[in-house]
Amino acid sequence: MGGHPPGIESHRMILLTFRDLVYRKTRFIVVTVLGAVVFALLFVMTGLVNQFNLEPAETVEQFGADQWVLPEGVSAPFTSVSVMPAAALGAVDAATKSPVVITRSSVAQGDGEAPEEVVLVGFEPGGLGAPQVVEGRAPEVEGEVSLDRTLGIDVGTEVTMSSEPLNVVGLTDDTTVLAGIPFAFLVLPEAQMLAFTTTEVIGAVLVSGELGPLPEGLASVSPDEVVAQTLQPLDGAIASIDLVRALLWVVAAIIVGAVVYLSALDRQRDFAVLKAVGTPNSSLLGSLALQAVLIALGAVALAAIIQIFLAPRFPLPVTVPVRAFWQLPLLAVLMALAAGAIGMRKVLRSDPSQAFSGAA
Amino acid sequence: MTIGPLKVRDLVVEFIHDGYAIRPLDGLSFGVEPGELVVLLGPSGCGKTTLLSCLGGILTPTSGSIRMGELDVTKMKGKQLDAYRRNDIGFVFQAFNLIPSLTARENIAVPLILTGHGRTASFARADELLEQVGLGDRGGHLPSKLSGGQMQRVAVARGLGHNPPLLLADEPTANLDHIQAEAIIRLLQTLRDDGRMIVVSTHDSRLVPIADRIVHMVPPDQHEERPTHDVTFAAGESIFEQGDSAQLVYVIKSGEVDVIRILADGGEEPLNRLGPDQYFGELGPFLGFPRSASVRARGDVVLTAYSARVFREKVLHKT
Repeated sequence: MGGHPPGIESHRMILLTFRDLVYRKTRFIVVTVLGAVVFALLFVMTGLVNQFNLEPAETVEQFGADQWVLPEGVSAPFTSVSVMPAAALGAVDAATKSPVVITRSSVAQGDGEAPEEVVLVGFEPGGLGAPQVVEGRAPEVEGEVSLDRTLGIDVGTEVTMSSEPLNVVGLTDDTTVLAGIPFAFLVLPEAQMLAFTTTEVIGAVLVSGELGPLPEGLASVSPDEVVAQTLQPLDGAIASIDLVRALLWVVAAIIVGAVVYLSALDRQRDFAVLKAVGTPNSSLLGSLALQAVLIALGAVALAAIIQIFLAPRFPLPVTVPVRAFWQLPLLAVLMALAAGAIGMRKVLRSDPSQAFSGAA
Repeated sequence: MTIGPLKVRDLVVEFIHDGYAIRPLDGLSFGVEPGELVVLLGPSGCGKTTLLSCLGGILTPTSGSIRMGELDVTKMKGKQLDAYRRNDIGFVFQAFNLIPSLTARENIAVPLILTGHGRTASFARADELLEQVGLGDRGGHLPSKLSGGQMQRVAVARGLGHNPPLLLADEPTANLDHIQAEAIIRLLQTLRDDGRMIVVSTHDSRLVPIADRIVHMVPPDQHEERPTHDVTFAAGESIFEQGDSAQLVYVIKSGEVDVIRILADGGEEPLNRLGPDQYFGELGPFLGFPRSASVRARGDVVLTAYSARVFREKVLHKT
């Protein structure tokens, strides 16, 4: 039975790898679960950052404007105070334009309930900036309000805003900014009175289509710029989450690397025996690498299930992007191979003469 | 199965350890014909495993040659040695060294699969070998579920996987009771009768009667009793050198000697100076080890030389 030098053929090492996984199953299960917890947190953190990035884009898109006309020096209406005379509307040269009011306020439900912070948006019914309600209808007259669904307030509920009683007539989705501050939509005059106690002031002019030259003191910004400016206050939070994500990758690498190294240590005699009988390093390294990859993929698969239960329990909205479900396993495989390198080096260095030594 | 013979000529293996050189093998020569079972006999530490490692292409000797048929093993490198181990050598390791996660059948088949044989053929060969070693019904058992003798038979079967012309067995009966050892000895006899060359390292004298040839790793004359006698050395003369085979123990009657360790770079490290009524060189003959240091006469010295047994009885037990 003559042997010939084998190439790196994965099927040759599958049996050895699989049997070792079964033999040391307790260790591998514990490590896979540990890894899964870390990867689940990575999924959630990724979903959190994704939600931070998605949130202003989805919200700004709902206003339906091609340009936002703001007082000069105001970069975004959601993060700075934006006030201009209502008469400025006439000076804006555009076929389709709508005035809006955007300011911070709070809404309370019933007596004794703690008020919740909202972004108050005043709009002209039928104009740009009108809410795209998913339940009920948009406010048509004073005394009506539509709220973002995350407030958990149903249509038909009475709420108060700055002591003004309002009837909830509609609900919107994806109308939040700054990590979950929900929007409340009112008709423009009522919003003007609540925000400025006068109807002579507006916050911005939304424009659709061509925009002519603007008078002095006004400037236009694109929706993308509004989105970017709205994200700016969250830069520190996103950077912190990115740092936590990097640390979680390090923890995952340590977990996988440690188990691969321990496996290499435990199997040093086995590898020495196999080397002594002529098994090439590539097959032995392949077996260890395959083990690392299987652990990483097993942990990611389990993590994908854990995150389904974990994400809703987070106080902030979490939207795990679809790309995370292929990027994370891919990165996990690369990380497992890198982390397992120390263990694999141990295999490369194992001396076949060790097969002759040792007691039973 | 490529047929030998195996020829070992002037084999020297030297290691550098803690700055000084040790030679577990020093000029060893012997041969093995096809169908012969050769026993390497000697105490622990005499170089048996080192010799098996050289024969198996795992360790490159310092000098000398190992030829198997047309193959010059000592000139092989890297992939040639891998191929030699893969095709021409079967190993039976001390303490079985079976892979604990694999069944008996897989322990035989997996090394074949990993060295390029087909999966089906490898398992068929494993089944055939398990039958041959009398373990046809134990193929599905993990090593932990087998007795010592059964594990050793699986180890032998693994060594025979690719039908090698040379089987190297390191202490194959070391961990076995006499019933299990007998089964292994019978198995080795059968394998020898198939025309295979078998080299067995052991300090188990039960293997001696079945050997076609015995290689004494410690020279037999070392054990011969030599009469007690006085011997004189002039100043600077060597009494014995580090690495010499150890036969006699010396007691100083007059004069002084220097005990010196010869370092790997040729330098010398003084270890001790001994005078009248002190003795030296006792551990080598007691343990069967070569001399671990050189001893030289400092001035003119007169020594009494004893065999190990006489020294133990007449000198050690008196003091």
